[in-house]
Amino acid sequence: MIRLTEDKTKSWLAARGLPVPKGVAVNNAQEAADAVTGFGGAVIKALVATGRRGKAGAVRVVSDAKAARDAATAILGLSVGEHLVERLYVEEKVDIGREFYLAFSFDGRSPSVVASINGGVDIEDVHRNSPESIVHHAVDAVHGVRFWDALALWEAAKAPKESLAGLARITVNVWHAFHDADALTLEINPLAADGKNNLSLVGAMMGIDPNAIFRQPQWQADASEQGATAGRPTAGELAVAEANRTLPGGAVRYTELDGEIGMLVGGGGASLLVHDMILARGSRPANHTDSSPGPITEKLKVMLREILRNPNTRGLLLAYNRLQMARCDTKMEALADALRQSGVDPRTFPIVVRLVGPTEQRAREIAAEFPGIEYLDDDASLDDAVALIVQRTRCARAVAE
Amino acid sequence: MSILVNANTRVLVQGITGFQGRMDTEYSLAYGTKIVCGVTPGRGGERVHNVPTFNTVRSAVSAVPVDASLLYVPATALRDAALEAIDAGIKLMVATTENVPRHDAALIVAEAQRNGVSIIGFNTNGIITPGECKLGGIGGDHPERSYVPGRIGVCSRSGGMSAEISWTLKKAGLGVSTCVSMGGDPITGLMMIDYLRLFESDPATDAMVIFGEPGSAHEQGVASALAAGEFRKPVFAIIAGAFQESYPKGVSFGHVAAMIADEADTATAKRRLLADSGAIVVDGLDALALAVRQRVNAPSVAAR
Repeated sequence: MIRLTEDKTKSWLAARGLPVPKGVAVNNAQEAADAVTGFGGAVIKALVATGRRGKAGAVRVVSDAKAARDAATAILGLSVGEHLVERLYVEEKVDIGREFYLAFSFDGRSPSVVASINGGVDIEDVHRNSPESIVHHAVDAVHGVRFWDALALWEAAKAPKESLAGLARITVNVWHAFHDADALTLEINPLAADGKNNLSLVGAMMGIDPNAIFRQPQWQADASEQGATAGRPTAGELAVAEANRTLPGGAVRYTELDGEIGMLVGGGGASLLVHDMILARGSRPANHTDSSPGPITEKLKVMLREILRNPNTRGLLLAYNRLQMARCDTKMEALADALRQSGVDPRTFPIVVRLVGPTEQRAREIAAEFPGIEYLDDDASLDDAVALIVQRTRCARAVAE
Repeated sequence: MSILVNANTRVLVQGITGFQGRMDTEYSLAYGTKIVCGVTPGRGGERVHNVPTFNTVRSAVSAVPVDASLLYVPATALRDAALEAIDAGIKLMVATTENVPRHDAALIVAEAQRNGVSIIGFNTNGIITPGECKLGGIGGDHPERSYVPGRIGVCSRSGGMSAEISWTLKKAGLGVSTCVSMGGDPITGLMMIDYLRLFESDPATDAMVIFGEPGSAHEQGVASALAAGEFRKPVFAIIAGAFQESYPKGVSFGHVAAMIADEADTATAKRRLLADSGAIVVDGLDALALAVRQRVNAPSVAAR
């Protein structure tokens, strides 16, 4: 999911006629001080694509330019979750009488909407303390959300009757904003009412479906900034992420771990099962991979190079589920390439290969050029392959120690 | 017998002139699938492996009777192609397209439900009734290497594991009534429980095997039906991905891990739930072969 920062979410909502407080993204304390001059009171927030900023001390209310400068200086450089705060969002402070909660996302096969009259706090806390105040409706994707659906939603949520029509109108518009953005989540918290029942979308977070970027080019840049790997990526993970972006072929993902068996296993189901089986046999993988079985030779070369370069790796398992359409030889070529590049010698570094399917004969011929590679017979199971690499790696470690 | 598709199923291929559509059509025809027509807008009148091609689904189905549509359409065009098929009265669709936008998937499934249409997929590798027909890439150009006729129904969230499981059964002297790669996307048309209900009422199926992963509520649906006593036939289950629970939260293993919404969606929770409901949960493929052999007394390989 592509998480958008607050400024981008709010400008999308404002462009669709939704009431959003005035705000501006700034880069430093001076800009923050300048920005609040036009506002009576202001809120300075870390501009990072994650929630829970308040709890991290990254949201402050200020009344003048000096306070804004101090707040900005305090927030810049903080870490919120895994995000370093490098920019800020300065927003006009609005009067808040009541706080509501509204969110769209997907639940199972259909879009869904969640509403509550207890906004302004984490919805998880509301769920824990007063679950009855949360109303959850499925949305029929053909029908969408109509005004009367939204009225029924807020009526079920026991919204005060003076706010009912306004909340319903906004809910319909937020649905359209969610749908038209190809969003996977859109959370409005709080959806605030002032003393005169004017509603305002004070907090807003949106996550976009990466599969829909082809028709949402405005977020292309946000998509490429967010790699597949969470947390702080290693050099190897960064290299594979880079290859994933720039080289042709289906998606590959690579995560380095603390174990000793390098695994290049596909497709997705087989990689899950093999990882389970390695743990069950008392060993641990040095990495996890996730790749489609299709033509991704160039990406595999990079991934194999990084697996062999990882100092934790003491052995390699190259295994796929029995291939149906995809080729064996290109995967073996990728391994041959990585071996030549790295100078790794399969006579001392155990390598077990289990590749069965189209062009298998050619793959076996390539493997034969590298003495030491153990290419399993046609009728070997994935269990057999795992058992062998675990045993061989254990021996290699014993020799090394 | 079988579920959903058999030797008589007449198939339309949407996107038949593309690389994948062309190749799979060739392999499927060679296997015996009755591919009777194709559709690619702007390519009407051409023939692909001697299959007539039309510009629209409506013109195709008015010229040739069709039972199912097989879609080889890119994600950018899938919404229109699928809705077109529903509009033209197609009742069974096999949607191979990957990376389908979520809003499109939800819309297509909602339309399908209104019109009584069954969708296999999205992101499915296909469905095969060994010895009769296959729809999709499943089995490639040599389906018999992994899939032989028999009496076990297989339903897998992973396309590759469909082959691995069916081959494991073959090696154990067993065979497959129908094997479906149901697709691993967050939204699928038919659910795992739908396939198992079809297998339960199929006289040619003696037992079912499911392959599941973390995320989604598919196995919970199966467990509820098992607990309610819906199935007389044994259900064998492999649920992969428990390793994710032994790493700190936040370590990302790709798309599957990202979808684990809560504890009920973990592999371990699913395994426990299925086992408590009466499924036979096994650790791997070798264990699957043993377990199925122990429990299934019927003739292992169908005579056909």
